[in-house]
Amino acid sequence: MTASQQPPHTSAADPAVTTEGPPPVPTARPFKQTERPHPLTPFVRGWLVFVALAIGWGREIVTNAGDDQITAGGLTWILPILGIVVVLAAITGFVAWYFTRFVIDDEELRIETGAIFKKSTKIPFERLQSVDIIQPLAARIFGLAELRLDAGNSSTKLRYLSRSKASRLRDYLLTRAHGQQASIRDLDQQAAASVFTDLGITDQPLVKVSQQRLILSFLLSSEWLIPATITIIIVVTTAAFGVVPLALGGLIPLLIGMVSLIWRRVIGMFNFTLAESPRGLRITRGLTNLTSQSVPINRIQGVKVSQPLLWKFLGWHRVDVDILGYAHGDSENNESNASSVLLPVATLEEVELAIGRVLPGFDLDAIELHPSPRRARWVRWFDFWTLRYGWDDRTLITEHGWFTHVRDIVPHAKTQSVRIEQGPLQRLLRLADVGVHTPRGPVNAVAHQLDEQTARELALSQLDRARAARAAERQRRAIEQVRTVDHQGEAELLAAFGTGRDQLLGSGGESEVFAIDHDRVLRLYRSRHEAPRRTAAQLQPLYQSWAGCDIGLELPMIFESGERNGRFFTVDRRLSGRNFSGWLQHADMAQRRPALISFLDATERLQQLPSPVPGFARLIGDDAPQQFGTLVELLSSMLRGPLQSSRTQLERDIAGVAEVWNRLHGDLAQRSVVPAMVHGDVCPPNAYLSQGPEGPVVTGIADFSPHTVHADPLLDVAGALIFLELEPYADAAADAAWLEAVAVERHGHEIVRWIDVYRRFYGFYFSNAYAFDSRLYAWCLRQLSR
Amino acid sequence: MEELFAPPSYEWKRLSPKYRSMRQLTSLVVPPILLTIPAVIVGVASGHWWISGLIWAAAIVIAIVRFGFVGRSWRSWGYVEREDDLYITHGVMFRSLIAVPYGRMQLVEVESGPLERAFGLATVTLKTASPETGARIPGLSPEEATRLRDRLTELGEAHASGL
Repeated sequence: MTASQQPPHTSAADPAVTTEGPPPVPTARPFKQTERPHPLTPFVRGWLVFVALAIGWGREIVTNAGDDQITAGGLTWILPILGIVVVLAAITGFVAWYFTRFVIDDEELRIETGAIFKKSTKIPFERLQSVDIIQPLAARIFGLAELRLDAGNSSTKLRYLSRSKASRLRDYLLTRAHGQQASIRDLDQQAAASVFTDLGITDQPLVKVSQQRLILSFLLSSEWLIPATITIIIVVTTAAFGVVPLALGGLIPLLIGMVSLIWRRVIGMFNFTLAESPRGLRITRGLTNLTSQSVPINRIQGVKVSQPLLWKFLGWHRVDVDILGYAHGDSENNESNASSVLLPVATLEEVELAIGRVLPGFDLDAIELHPSPRRARWVRWFDFWTLRYGWDDRTLITEHGWFTHVRDIVPHAKTQSVRIEQGPLQRLLRLADVGVHTPRGPVNAVAHQLDEQTARELALSQLDRARAARAAERQRRAIEQVRTVDHQGEAELLAAFGTGRDQLLGSGGESEVFAIDHDRVLRLYRSRHEAPRRTAAQLQPLYQSWAGCDIGLELPMIFESGERNGRFFTVDRRLSGRNFSGWLQHADMAQRRPALISFLDATERLQQLPSPVPGFARLIGDDAPQQFGTLVELLSSMLRGPLQSSRTQLERDIAGVAEVWNRLHGDLAQRSVVPAMVHGDVCPPNAYLSQGPEGPVVTGIADFSPHTVHADPLLDVAGALIFLELEPYADAAADAAWLEAVAVERHGHEIVRWIDVYRRFYGFYFSNAYAFDSRLYAWCLRQLSR
Repeated sequence: MEELFAPPSYEWKRLSPKYRSMRQLTSLVVPPILLTIPAVIVGVASGHWWISGLIWAAAIVIAIVRFGFVGRSWRSWGYVEREDDLYITHGVMFRSLIAVPYGRMQLVEVESGPLERAFGLATVTLKTASPETGARIPGLSPEEATRLRDRLTELGEAHASGL
């Protein structure tokens, strides 16, 4: 039945070699050349340890300087110890280097470390989130670089490699991480990147931060001005009383803080360039330590645009982003939040350019912002006039602060949870805060001091928006996944059935259909989910049960089904003739009208097909066949799934949608019919047309599906008329109206009312299209607002 | 409960009455114990035992005031399992209502410390990718805690969506 074909035998062993002698022992894989990192690695690591120790001791000595005199004797015993430690570090560095081996080739990415406790890390290419190159000064001097691989929440380091090798591997790994096929050998010829910026020739710089701007912006930033001012005040006041040494205990930590700030904000951000490469955004920065990080856009959870007071006059902003699982990966170099900087300082245009890349389609100015009520001044007397919030259909923005003006932007799809908070003073003033939570990082979106009622509406509607956005995101990902399927495997699969891309007959949201021969087609499903498999398993016996009944129509048949190269497929009967939908677009009215009559005839004939179960029932899908006592129960069950995802959207787009819904249920409760087979999706794309004695007529209906039910036969008649409106040819609406008149003539005037009822039914039924098919959704809205 | 913190038309679930008993006990016992140490130290060091008496009196006043608030604090807790998210509300002076969509839950924990165990109670904590979420329901009966954990895990899987 489901005899999935065996893939052609693929063995690495050549039969010619194995004809004589004992049969070869099957080896798991051919011996693979593993590599060690660059031989200079131990020296660089030893040097780094030396620097770390020197800084540590240096700090200690300086901090104690206030109380104690440094004695020369102190240094004489420190130095030999320092020397021993450095030698030890170099030895451990050598051992670590000696036992580190890695493989990066077309098949795998594997790193083996450890002298005593062996550790082998294998990272699947698709799991790689980002690949960064980091060059501490010492490594840079020797032309070496560290490769940092982020997968999920773990970060793996590979150090050190020669810089050109590191950047080649980075490019290769990023290509593979995006699901594209590439061979590592192809990358060997690429030109090396510049030593100072690590930008390759394929990288297009978007924003470059000049050194003057970086330094000036730093000197004017609140972060720097506050400790600098405090330091000056302390020094001046203590100097006035002549007691400077007393203040050293406070001054030294302050100075160390300032030095580290300079380190992070100026040295670390030097030559900052945000560039667009074929593999996404890339940031390179650093004066001594050169860091080159890729920005994983799909992992960005929120954006923060901030502006210290003095930057306002220069029109500068700073942009930080929340990157999932990234913010805490970098603590070793005391750069805990450095890797979340998208732009250290930029003009408004540059900010908009960068935000446009990370949140496509987002416009900072398009969102209407609402201020907090005036009475917020009693609680936030220091910045009540700056509090604002707003949202559109994709993002939420909150704004606050004048000393440093901060805008937090959170896409709805990234909302983790929502909180309303109210303290005692706020309760008196009937105010409340609404916090929208995002993963760890600099973004902290809180709408401060809203009116209670507004706060509540914002919080509850935010949950709805987040839910709708998540549903849309899922849809988008499913479609994206489809696009990134392995094309090589697909070509192989098509070839195995003797067909190819040029034999494509039609494609829908779920599958593509290829001609195999005169009688058979190959239906190739896009998703790797269980649903199509289950649907095919349920359709096969249903089609089988109809094999004996002749209703004057060709019906589909599934000959076999299976899975190959990770794709699910079925081999179906090929219906004769051509697709009705394609034909309609070019036929003239004289031809169309008789064909449409035959389409209506075919639809009506479907009712004669037997159902495997009596009564109202869903025939395909979860728990199918699923029986229902009444028509309205069956139809409500069909609407439940689509409405779950589209409800919020509908409530927004149609005023009084609840009333439409209730009216539909009231109407359906009055309908009494004997159930018959209902295809559920009789539309021209599912119908086939052949030449009859008096012109082309519909001779086959294909694609029964989870829409197929045992219910009111008028559902299909109504569907045939109203889906016709969706056909992409000029007179489709006129033809639909004409066909409706024909149907009314046949079945009597009372069906007008029921066609109208079923319009609303289908309007709800297909409303989840808002997430992926705006044309179909617009049609749904039209049906529901009639 | 005030309307701001109680979405309409839902049946709010309350904490076990044993949680109130536990909190009443701790509110009465903990302040005197904590303040005994400084009271004794002050008494021994200064010899003015009347200062120790004052500290002790303060401890008792604190204990009584806290005892008086336990009922309100206990009543302020509530949670409701909605179709797509879980709501938790609590707080008397500083009130909060948190809503966690099932699709965002990464981890559901049930914990029970020695004192909680003695009272037959457990705490359920929900974690999302955001550290700010901090959704926690204390004072549940172990059966309810287990039921809630299993239910939330199940719903979390059903609604799961990538980040």
